Amino acid sequence: MFNKDLQLHYSDSPEVDFSSAREMKPYLEEPKAMYVGAPGKRGYLNLGFELDAGGKSILRELDRRAPLIVQQELYFDEKLPGMPCVYILSSGGPNIDGDRYMQNITVGSGAMAWVSTGAATKLAGMKYNYSGMIQNIVLRENAYLEYLPEPIIPHASTRFICDTRMCVDPTATVLYSEIYMGGRKYYGGGELFNFDILSVCSHGERPDGEQLFREKFIIRPDEGHIRDCGVMGKYDIFANVIVMTPADKAEMIYQQTRAYIDPSRQLAAGITNLPNGAGLLFKVLGKEPGPVKAAVREFASNVRMAIKGVPLPEEFPWR
Amino acid sequence: MDPRMTALFHLLQYSDATFPVGTFSFSNGLETASYEKLVHDASGLEQYARSAARQAAFSDGVAALTAYRACKKGDYKAICDIDARLMLFKMNDEARLMLRRMGKKLAELSALIFSSDILSRWLADIEREVTPGSYPVAQGIVFALSDLSEEDLYVSYQYGVINMILGAALRCVRVSHYDTQDILFRLASETPALYEQAKDMDFEDMNCFVPEMDILASLHEKGSMRMFMS
Repeated sequence: MFNKDLQLHYSDSPEVDFSSAREMKPYLEEPKAMYVGAPGKRGYLNLGFELDAGGKSILRELDRRAPLIVQQELYFDEKLPGMPCVYILSSGGPNIDGDRYMQNITVGSGAMAWVSTGAATKLAGMKYNYSGMIQNIVLRENAYLEYLPEPIIPHASTRFICDTRMCVDPTATVLYSEIYMGGRKYYGGGELFNFDILSVCSHGERPDGEQLFREKFIIRPDEGHIRDCGVMGKYDIFANVIVMTPADKAEMIYQQTRAYIDPSRQLAAGITNLPNGAGLLFKVLGKEPGPVKAAVREFASNVRMAIKGVPLPEEFPWR
Repeated sequence: MDPRMTALFHLLQYSDATFPVGTFSFSNGLETASYEKLVHDASGLEQYARSAARQAAFSDGVAALTAYRACKKGDYKAICDIDARLMLFKMNDEARLMLRRMGKKLAELSALIFSSDILSRWLADIEREVTPGSYPVAQGIVFALSDLSEEDLYVSYQYGVINMILGAALRCVRVSHYDTQDILFRLASETPALYEQAKDMDFEDMNCFVPEMDILASLHEKGSMRMFMS
């Protein structure tokens, strides 16, 4: 049995507090294995990108606590060879009962960065508590960030809450994407929308504190409406891509992006303007992850073209 | 007339589909859903109307209740606060346009039929673009000033959302008046459970998940179909 009095000695990362989240109140039992906040269950990541003296974007600050891992930045993007690329990994495998994570990403003035995950994020089944993550993404003047992680796969009985705050200078651009699978579609006899709850909130603001938008969705499949027309309908996967960018760039990207429902590819996509001139929101629904990822990537390429004048490189064949 | 009977009369008046706030101009994405053959019969229409009702239940409905309570306390700042916060939550231009246009209409109309300092101040602030003037907040104010209850307000708002879609359906989906009344009658029984959840929510709890409706709204926004404004 772990001694909870030792908790403070081991966990010097910031507390991930979701005590005000009403929807998670049914899931507050202490896990019977390692307690909430135990070493290895409270992941922390602080990434700070900035320009060095020679004007090159580098990963200047890297602070991490298990199970989150980031190694050194790499420069493998053929279209933007000066852009540091970073994979976030988790040594613990899936997110499990009682995990709490915090990820902070700051991109300094004029710098750029690309962040992804090494593989899909699996949310394991949970019995007592939930897994939660807080993200703070800060972009200073003329900064540029592409956050394009692999999909999130909620297993049966999982509970997950995520709060993402994006504080973005009016001259900067962030592309923040999330792809949620309905579940482990091909596991056993198929597992779709068998999780307990997903609560996902993304909100944007300016450095002076002006609030720009707030999107929150809570999905409880057991309420029985997930397959209704207007919700997921016949689709199994959805992607949400937020682009905070200056108004002229947003208008250009909006005009270039097509909204469609394509029955032959079982794919649908739409784009809209965020409130208060904050940027754009692009959504995709699909049956399989490949086409959804491709649609998100095509959109991300258009965004990069509008901001940096080059497209995304071809995706690695193993991704 | 007994005050409760007068209040009931007002409830019927504000909830009537002919109450001139422009409800008939919007379809909440149904026009596109029909064109894309996602909604082509009564069963699909019921699902779509339920999705719209659930979308409103935990966002607009919460804002309406918050505005109602603020108005009852005479807290004008709280009214403007929830008005602005609701607009942060509206993710497409047509939805924002719909809520603002209907909200202003309701404020203008109400200011003509009864006098209230708080309503006059709010209408002036809408015209000066100090506050967005959203429909749920307008309804919260008007219901509070008309001595109607929170439950009356919530039911009226949800009824309005569902009835807007069913009214539009008669013009763009192959359904009959019998179908739409049947759907309306059934969805009524789901409203108390939505209210039980929504009544304790605040801005932080507001949520909605209707990605297919969001994509339909985008198609409408980018398309050329204009029988309805959304």
